[in-house]
Amino acid sequence: MKNNRLVSINNHQDGYALNFQAMASPCEVLIQTRNRQLAVRVGDVVANEVWRIEDKYSRYDQLSVCSIINNSAGQAISIDKETYLLLNFAEQCYQLSEGLFDITSGILRKAWHFDGGEKLPSQAQIAACLSYVGWPQVQFNPEQITLAKGMEIDFGGLGKEYAVDRAIILVKELTDLPVLVNLGGDLAVTSARLTNIPWQVAIEHPDAHGAGNSSPTDMIISLSSGALATSGDARRFLLKDGKRYSHVLNAKTGWPIQDAPRSMTVVAPACIQAGILATMALLQGENAEQFLTEQEIKFWSRR
Amino acid sequence: MMRNKADNKNIKAALTIATAALLGGNSTVSAETVNSTDDSAWEFDSAFLFYSEADRVSASEAIFNAKKTFEDDEVLNLKLTVDALTGASANGAVAQPNVQTFTRPSGNGQYDVAPGDTPLDDTFRDTRVQINGQWTQTVADDLTASGGVHLSKEYDYLSLGINGNLAIDFDRKNTTFSLGFSYFQDTFTPEGGIPKPFASMLIGDSSDPGWDEEFAKTRIGSEDDKTTTDILLGITQVINRRMIMQFNYSYSMVDGYLTDPFKIMTVVDNDGLAQDYVYESRPDSRVKQSFYAQSLYHFDTTVLDVSYRYMWDDWEITSHTIDSRFRIPLSDSFGTESYLQPHFRFYQQGAADFYRPFMMENDPKPAFASADYRIGEMTAYTLGIKYGRLINNGHELSFRLEYYRQTPTDAGFDEPGVLKEVELYPSIDAIIAQVTYSF
Repeated sequence: MKNNRLVSINNHQDGYALNFQAMASPCEVLIQTRNRQLAVRVGDVVANEVWRIEDKYSRYDQLSVCSIINNSAGQAISIDKETYLLLNFAEQCYQLSEGLFDITSGILRKAWHFDGGEKLPSQAQIAACLSYVGWPQVQFNPEQITLAKGMEIDFGGLGKEYAVDRAIILVKELTDLPVLVNLGGDLAVTSARLTNIPWQVAIEHPDAHGAGNSSPTDMIISLSSGALATSGDARRFLLKDGKRYSHVLNAKTGWPIQDAPRSMTVVAPACIQAGILATMALLQGENAEQFLTEQEIKFWSRR
Repeated sequence: MMRNKADNKNIKAALTIATAALLGGNSTVSAETVNSTDDSAWEFDSAFLFYSEADRVSASEAIFNAKKTFEDDEVLNLKLTVDALTGASANGAVAQPNVQTFTRPSGNGQYDVAPGDTPLDDTFRDTRVQINGQWTQTVADDLTASGGVHLSKEYDYLSLGINGNLAIDFDRKNTTFSLGFSYFQDTFTPEGGIPKPFASMLIGDSSDPGWDEEFAKTRIGSEDDKTTTDILLGITQVINRRMIMQFNYSYSMVDGYLTDPFKIMTVVDNDGLAQDYVYESRPDSRVKQSFYAQSLYHFDTTVLDVSYRYMWDDWEITSHTIDSRFRIPLSDSFGTESYLQPHFRFYQQGAADFYRPFMMENDPKPAFASADYRIGEMTAYTLGIKYGRLINNGHELSFRLEYYRQTPTDAGFDEPGVLKEVELYPSIDAIIAQVTYSF
């Protein structure tokens, strides 16, 4: 991946688009300016920040802080302030979701393979994984973290959204001009476009790349401030006996959440907020929409 | 998994705090969105406006605007406006202590005005159709060009116009300099023809066999025209994230027939009694200049828009206009993305050098004279409120209600005899109501 770390610049409407790859997603920065130098600089700053976060928290990268923690085998690992703040945020999410959202639940992947097939794991396989799931067993403080042997943490549910928010903070230090940061569909803007025109954002339909059925239209959302994140992935599921098993897992039972929307898009002041709200909504299953409606949060769900 | 409502509210608030802890306090700004189902389609605005002056003119206006943005940000804007006017408008004569009889501008028939009443011609009725087309595109980095055509047709009036505009951006678009030009050619074909300046209004029996011949003697032709050339220089400056300022200077030259063929003046004797009614006469050119400054300021949630215009011309008319709007977002319980926008406008105008409310019988005849209150001394203000909200699919619906009061004032003319007893400067009250729907 790292040999592909390039930022390309393209004209886009009355400004520039800076494109790069990170976190297994196409990423894009849009800036409304004719100043090419500024555009290049903003693109570099954003890409470098996103790559930094990817290197630090990717569970695929054996050198990442995440991997070091996961390979610690019960030893205390010292952490920096940023990692502490992220763990702290994960803690809040665990508490607020009453245990449904748990960054130690990634290990359930060993039982579940959401490849569109029909092979369900056995209850014994799930139970084996579940013995390594449980956020309350993780001990951490501002200086260090201790993870029981066999347990893993995964920032996958937070990392991309966090990178969007970090990018926006850095961009605002560089320029007052309108900028949009889009990391594979999770995105935020610094402000409305000049003369107060909102950004037009296309949200890909879950079936857009599905099996050859008629191409459904994308949804267009106008965003003039704040952020937007989508949870759910229509391509990751299992289908057995006509029943669809989504990849959204209940961290307490180890089984997929039933009757959850296929995707949930949420708008919030910060991207990480939008992302966690979208995920928490999916974890409510059939009550996903009600959960967000009651909190007067704007969302678009697709079932 | 069911939670009660209070718990869920806590989730939102707790997440906001958690996010602030993670990202730093300054990052928790607001989120504003509108969703729509398709992207590059036409955008439409429709508006219906009703304007009514107490006892005078009523106007209904329907506006339909269509806008399309093409791939490279070219914008095509088409606008259709249809107005219908009915009612009575001041004919320029002064009120008298006795009944007054006037001939209609067409020469077909007379109308009477009661003692003490400001003479109004109640045959005012017209329908106007106006079409505007505008094309805007980027021609180079930092350079936007725009060109348009205009056509306006009334029963007795045709206006054709073209315009062009260039906008150049500097300093990362923080500064925009614009240069505008427009040219209009208007043709006036009033029913009954163009009256001869200062000719006496023929009053009598319009069914008399000699009437048409006599009436024709007060006319100089069937149509006349005028041209208007406007040049505009403007600068828009982004002051900071919250504030934008704009400054414009405009220079406008109007040449041709600038007289109002429907307006007359009363010629009075030393007792203020009407002796004659003569058609008004205005110069055949006018040069207007104006300076305009506007400031838009975004507070945290509200937006204040204040502007000032100073206009002056070679008819010695000067005017000051202060216009302000304040946009206040409302909570969603008043409608999705709803807002209230109070509006206040103040206008003050000095009279043209040839304006006079009436003429004295024994005074030497001036080169030009008009008693049209619209070029006399006046103040006016508008108070209004607008409410807008989004309805399903992000379409905006808004309502505007305004009250307008225009008060002509005495610029210091002596009022002989009976003119002291009548209202020479009647004020006008009007209500404006508008509904706009964007889709």
